[in-house]
Amino acid sequence: MSPQLRHISFTLNGNSVTAEVAPHHTLVEMLQEQFHLYGARESCGQGLCGCCTVIVNGRSVSGCLYLAAFADQANIVTVEGLAKGEQLDPVQEAFVSCSGFQCGFCTSGFILMVNQLLEKNANPTEDEIRHYLSGNLCRCATYPDIISAVHAAATTLRKE
Amino acid sequence: MIPFDLQEPASLAEAIALLDPDDPSVRPVAGGTALMLMMKAGLFQPTRLISLRRLEGDLRRVHVDEHGDLHLGALVPLSKLELSPLVAEHAPAVSETCRTLSNVRVRNVATLGGHVAHGDPHMDLPPLLIALGARARAVGPRGERWIDAADLFVGYYQTALERDELLAEIVIPAPSPDSSAAYVKFTALSADDWPAVGVAAAVRRREGVILDAVLAVSAATEKPIRLAAAEAAIRGKSTSSGSFDEAAEAAAHEVEPLADIRGSTAYKREMVRVHVRRALIKASHS
Repeated sequence: MSPQLRHISFTLNGNSVTAEVAPHHTLVEMLQEQFHLYGARESCGQGLCGCCTVIVNGRSVSGCLYLAAFADQANIVTVEGLAKGEQLDPVQEAFVSCSGFQCGFCTSGFILMVNQLLEKNANPTEDEIRHYLSGNLCRCATYPDIISAVHAAATTLRKE
Repeated sequence: MIPFDLQEPASLAEAIALLDPDDPSVRPVAGGTALMLMMKAGLFQPTRLISLRRLEGDLRRVHVDEHGDLHLGALVPLSKLELSPLVAEHAPAVSETCRTLSNVRVRNVATLGGHVAHGDPHMDLPPLLIALGARARAVGPRGERWIDAADLFVGYYQTALERDELLAEIVIPAPSPDSSAAYVKFTALSADDWPAVGVAAAVRRREGVILDAVLAVSAATEKPIRLAAAEAAIRGKSTSSGSFDEAAEAAAHEVEPLADIRGSTAYKREMVRVHVRRALIKASHS
């Protein structure tokens, strides 16, 4: 069966965009193939690891388990949409200053999830951070540094 | 994934009309998280999916009616159940169960209706809905009908829903003042794995005595089921935890656990014993 392409339009990192997607395409496939955005990447493919995290209408989703067609009319933010030019956002800065990564493969997912957490909870405890990020896996096991980065970012954001 | 057709109706009636009672390759999809896993694994190859994402109204609503019954729309995402003050007040065990159900991203997308209608015995809420005496309202071309949660799950990935029916809502009856409920699970492979065993308990107690209890087990068994022998064993017993051993023993005796990568039949039987006891302790002391 040949896939019937559909025309969708949505906001991507603040810009109005359009795309042609087949019903069986995932959000992460569309972002990579049509917009050359590789921050969200498929790793486990099962929604467990968080490497494909994308923000859809203000909520985090696993881009590997989300149909691209469902992006129609949505507001999509990827890790590429966080920095303002050369200016990293406070969570990104904190991950750099605390070395909250090693290989970096999981980092974009963690950064988006931490942004979500800090929007809801400006001063999370370590337990709250661990619980919220329990669906993000770092195979380099930089978890202690990631938790330091969350505390550092929270401190910066509370001052802003 | 292999290609398929996608239709996006704007109303429940339109969605039902698009379903095909005779074609198992046509399925409704809401959040899609569970279905996508099956499609990616090649276990389900749809020809056509009917997306429910454009449907609005009561399907997305959480409210309490004049009798104190809690109505949960089928398209309510699990994160909304987790965070809803109404759910926390009227069914705190549901809020708590949602906190450790998969992860934030899945809860943001997966819906209550999909969670239930998927019929996967590893889902967390079905045993709790059974214990709480919940009912499901199904809507199809012949009108609507109510199905008790205890009758909804008929086999491995099989529910009592017809292929052309959709869940509209789940209703949890108002709790009596002397009742409380809890759900406990055991994840064998990692903390956030699918459960190897899930046990829900709802008890009514007065002056340290259990008047009656509803117990349901999931994940270890081919479908979520009530534990009738264990329920009988606990009736009239003291809420001191020592008296739960008999019920736990009865539960271990009456289940037929399926062996898989999360444990052998014997191991899961033992885990059912342990977790029935824990669920009773938790429900009796919350």
